[in-house]
Amino acid sequence: MELIWYVLLGLFFGTYLVLGGYDYGVGLSLARNADPGRRRAALNAVGPFFLGNEVWLVAAVGILFGAFPVLEGELLSGFYPAVLGALAGVILVTAGVQLRSRPAHERVRARWDRVVVVGSALAALGWGALLAGLLQGVPRDTDGHVVGLTHLVTPFAATAGLAMVALVAAHGATFLTLRLPADDAARTGRLARRLLPVALAAIGVATVVGLLSERVRATAQQPLAGVLLPVLLVAALVVARAALTRGRAGVAFTATAVALALPVALVGATLWPYVLVSTTDPGASLTVADAAASAPTLRLLGWLAMPLLPALLGFQLMCWWVFRGRTDGRAPVYW
Amino acid sequence: MDTLLLARLQFATTTSIHFLFVIVTLGLVTLLVGLQTAWVITGKQKYERLTRFWGQLYVINYVLGIATGIVMEFQFGLNWSGLSRYVGNVFGAPLAIETLVAFFLESTFLGMWIFGWHRLRRGVHLALLWGVALTAYASAFWILVANSWLQNPVGYEVRDGVAHLTDFPALLGNPTLTMAFGHVVSAALLVGGMLMAAVSAGHLIRRTPDHALHRTALRIGLVTAALSITLVQGFGFAQFGPVGAVQPTKFGGGDEAQAMIGEWTARFGPGDYTPPALASAGLGFMITIGLTLGALWLLVPLLWRDWIIRLRFPLWLLLLALPLPFVATILGWIAREVGRQPWVAYGLLPVDQAVSPVGAPVMLTSLIGFSLLLGTLAVTNWVLIARHAARGAQDPALGRPPGQSIHLRTEPAFT
Ligand code: HDD
Ligand code: HEM
Ligand code: HEM
Repeated sequence: MELIWYVLLGLFFGTYLVLGGYDYGVGLSLARNADPGRRRAALNAVGPFFLGNEVWLVAAVGILFGAFPVLEGELLSGFYPAVLGALAGVILVTAGVQLRSRPAHERVRARWDRVVVVGSALAALGWGALLAGLLQGVPRDTDGHVVGLTHLVTPFAATAGLAMVALVAAHGATFLTLRLPADDAARTGRLARRLLPVALAAIGVATVVGLLSERVRATAQQPLAGVLLPVLLVAALVVARAALTRGRAGVAFTATAVALALPVALVGATLWPYVLVSTTDPGASLTVADAAASAPTLRLLGWLAMPLLPALLGFQLMCWWVFRGRTDGRAPVYW
Repeated sequence: MDTLLLARLQFATTTSIHFLFVIVTLGLVTLLVGLQTAWVITGKQKYERLTRFWGQLYVINYVLGIATGIVMEFQFGLNWSGLSRYVGNVFGAPLAIETLVAFFLESTFLGMWIFGWHRLRRGVHLALLWGVALTAYASAFWILVANSWLQNPVGYEVRDGVAHLTDFPALLGNPTLTMAFGHVVSAALLVGGMLMAAVSAGHLIRRTPDHALHRTALRIGLVTAALSITLVQGFGFAQFGPVGAVQPTKFGGGDEAQAMIGEWTARFGPGDYTPPALASAGLGFMITIGLTLGALWLLVPLLWRDWIIRLRFPLWLLLLALPLPFVATILGWIAREVGRQPWVAYGLLPVDQAVSPVGAPVMLTSLIGFSLLLGTLAVTNWVLIARHAARGAQDPALGRPPGQSIHLRTEPAFT
C-alpha cells in the first residue's frame, strides 16, 4: 500500500517536472528573444497546457500531505531554503505568464517577461537543489527533526541546481521546436541543439562533484541506481540531440521529457528503502513505510482517489489531444 | 519575535490574501455559468459579450487565487510540520482529496476554457465552465472539511501520541462544517453579485457606451446579492448553535467554558485558554456589516422602470459599498480562526507544538518575503482588474476571434 502511494507521489512530481519543466524552459527562452511577437508566440505555444501543468505540483504536494504526512513536514521544513526558492519561482511564473499580456504597453510586458525569466530560473534551481539535498542526506536527530539549514549549502546542491536549470532550458527549447509553426521551429531547434551540450556538461560537473562528496556516497543505499542516473541522463540527452539534428522534434521532446522524469525515479530508487537518510544518526533515517500515513488513511485515500485517477489523466489527455499539433491561427491568443 | 508568532502572522496574511481572491472566483464563476448557459440556450449576443467581459475579469482574478493557494499548501509543511506529524493522518486526508478531486481538474478545465473559444463546440466549451464551477465548489467543500476538523476534531483516536483516522464520515458530518459551508458559499455569491452590480453601476454613472449591457449586469448582480445576503444572515446566525456547543470558549465565558478550561488545565497544565479579544471584535464588526447589507433589499424595488439608474445615487451606494463584503469575510475568518486559540486542533494540539522547529530569522525572512511578494502581486492584480473593468466590454482579449493572431499556418507536429 505504501509502495503504491510512493510510486504515485513520484509519478505526480516527475510529471510535474516534465510538464512544468517546459513551462520554465520556455520562460527562460524569453531572455534570449528581443522580438515581442516571438515572445508572445512562445508563451502561447504553452498556452492551453499552462494551467494544467502546474497542478501536477499541487497534486503531488496533496499526496505528500495525505499519504506521507511525516515526510511532508520533515522534507519541506528540512529543505526550507530550496523549497522557498522553488516556491517563489513557481509563483512568479504563474503570475507572470498569465498577467504579462494584460497591459497593452510593450515596455510593461517586457518587464513581466523578466519576472517570468527570474521565476523560471528560481524554480529550476530550487527543485534541482531539493533533489540533490535528498541524495546527500539530512542531519536528522533521533527526536525526528531535521536540525539546521546549512546542510543544504554544498557544492553538490549548487551544481545540481544549475544542471536542472540547463536541463529545463534545453527541454523548453525542444518543446518549442515541436510546437511552434515550422519557420520559427527551425530557429528554436538550433537553440535547443546548442543548449543540449551545455546541459550535458552541467550534468557531468554535478556527477563528478556528487561522486567526490562523502555524504552522497554514504547516503546512497542502492549505488547501482545512483550510477545509473547520470548514465541514463546522458544517454537521453544524446538521443535528443541526434533526433533534433535529423529534424525529429517529437523524438527529441520525448527524450528530454525522459531526462526530466529520470531524476525523480532514480533518486527514489537510490535511497530505497529510505526517503530521508540521516547523516548524523543512522537510526534516525526515515523509511518509506515509517513516513506513510497509517493504514486507515491510506485505505480511504485509495478508495476515493484510485477510481478518480483515470478521470484525471483522461481530462489531461483530452487537453493535449484538443490542442495537439503546431500552433496556428485557429486558437485565440491569450497569454 | 518568536517563531510561533511569525508563523501565525504568515498564515494569517497569506490565507487572508488567498481568500480575498477565491471568494471572488467562487461567486463570479457561478454567475458566469448562468451567463454562458443563457448564451448557449438563447443564442443572444448580449450574453456572449457579458460572458467574455466578466470572464476576462474572472480569469485575471483567478491568477492570484492560484499563486496564493500554492503558498498555502506548502506552508503547512514549511511552518507547521508538527501539524502533519501529530494529526496528519486525519487532517491530511481531506486536503489530499481536495487537490486530487478538485484543483487538479479545475485548472485543467480552465486552461481549456480560455483557449477553447472558437475551437471547441459550444456545448463542450460550456461543459468546461460547468466543470470549473463544480470543482471550485468541491474544493471549497473539502477545504472546509479540513478546517472544520481543526475547529472540532472528530473521527480519530490517539495512539502513541499520534492521531489516527477511525471514522471518516464523522468528518463530513462535523457540526462545525454544515452551516459554515452554506455561510461561505452564500458569502461568495454576495461578493460576486455586489462586484457585478458595482462595476456596472460605475459604467452607468459614467454613461459609457453599452448602456443596455451594463443595465442587464446590474440587475443580475443586484438580485443575486440581495438573495445571498439573506442566506448569509441565515447561515451566519445558524452557526452560533453548533459552534458554541463544541467550542465553549469561542464566543466568550459562561459555565461550560470554565468547565472546559478546568479540564484542559488538568490535562495540559495551566495556561491561557481564552482566545484573544480580536476574535469577538471580528465577529461583532462582521455581523454589523452583514445586517447593514440587508439594506440591499431596499434597492431591489428600484429596478422597476430603471429608477435605480435614473436616481443615480443608488448607483453610488452600490459602488461605495463594494469593500464591505470583503472586509466582512476577513473579519469572519478572524473570528473563526483566532477564536480557536491557543489550539491548532481544538482541545487536541496547541499551536506551539505544531510550529516547525526552524529559527526565527528564517521564519521572519519567509514572512517578509511572501508578504511583500503576494502583497505586491495582489495590488497589481486589483489594479489590472479595475482597469479592465473600467475599459468596458468592447473587445476583451478573452474569446477574441482569431485572425489578429501571430501565426496563421497549420502543420502537423509529429513528422
Ligand atoms: C460577506 C461576508 C460575510 C458577511 C456579510 C457575514 N459573514 Fe459571517 N463569516 C463569513 C463571512 C460573512 C466568512 C468569511 O465566510 C466566515 C469565516 C468562517 C466561516 O465559516 O465563514 C464567517 C464566520 C462566521 C461565524 C464564525 C463561525 C465560527 O467561529 O466557527 C459566525 C458565528 C458568523 N459568521 C455569523 C454571521 C452573522 C450572524 C452575520 C450577519 C448577519 C454574518 N456572519 C455576516
Ligand atoms: C481562507 C480563509 C482563512 C483565513 C482568512 C484564515 C485566517 C487565519 C488566521 C487569522 C490565523 C492566525 C490565527 C492566530 O493564531 O492568530 C490562521 C491560522 C491558521 N489557520 Fe486559518 N484561515 C482561513 C482558512 C483556513 C483553512 C481553510 C484552514 C485549514 C484547512 C486553516 C488553517 C489554519 C492553520 C493551520 C493556522 C495556524 C495555526 C494557528 O495559528 O491557529 N485556515 N488562519
Ligand atoms: C475556506 C477557505 C478556502 C477556499 C474557499 C478556497 C477556495 C479555493 C478556490 C476556489 C481555488 C481555485 C483558484 C481560484 O479560485 O482563484 C483555490 C486555489 C487554491 N487553494 Fe484555496 N481555498 C481556501 C483555503 C485554502 C487553504 C487553507 C489551502 C491550503 C492547503 C488552499 C490551497 C489552495 C491551492 C494549492 C490552490 C491552487 C490550486 C490550483 O493550482 O488551481 N486553499 N482555493
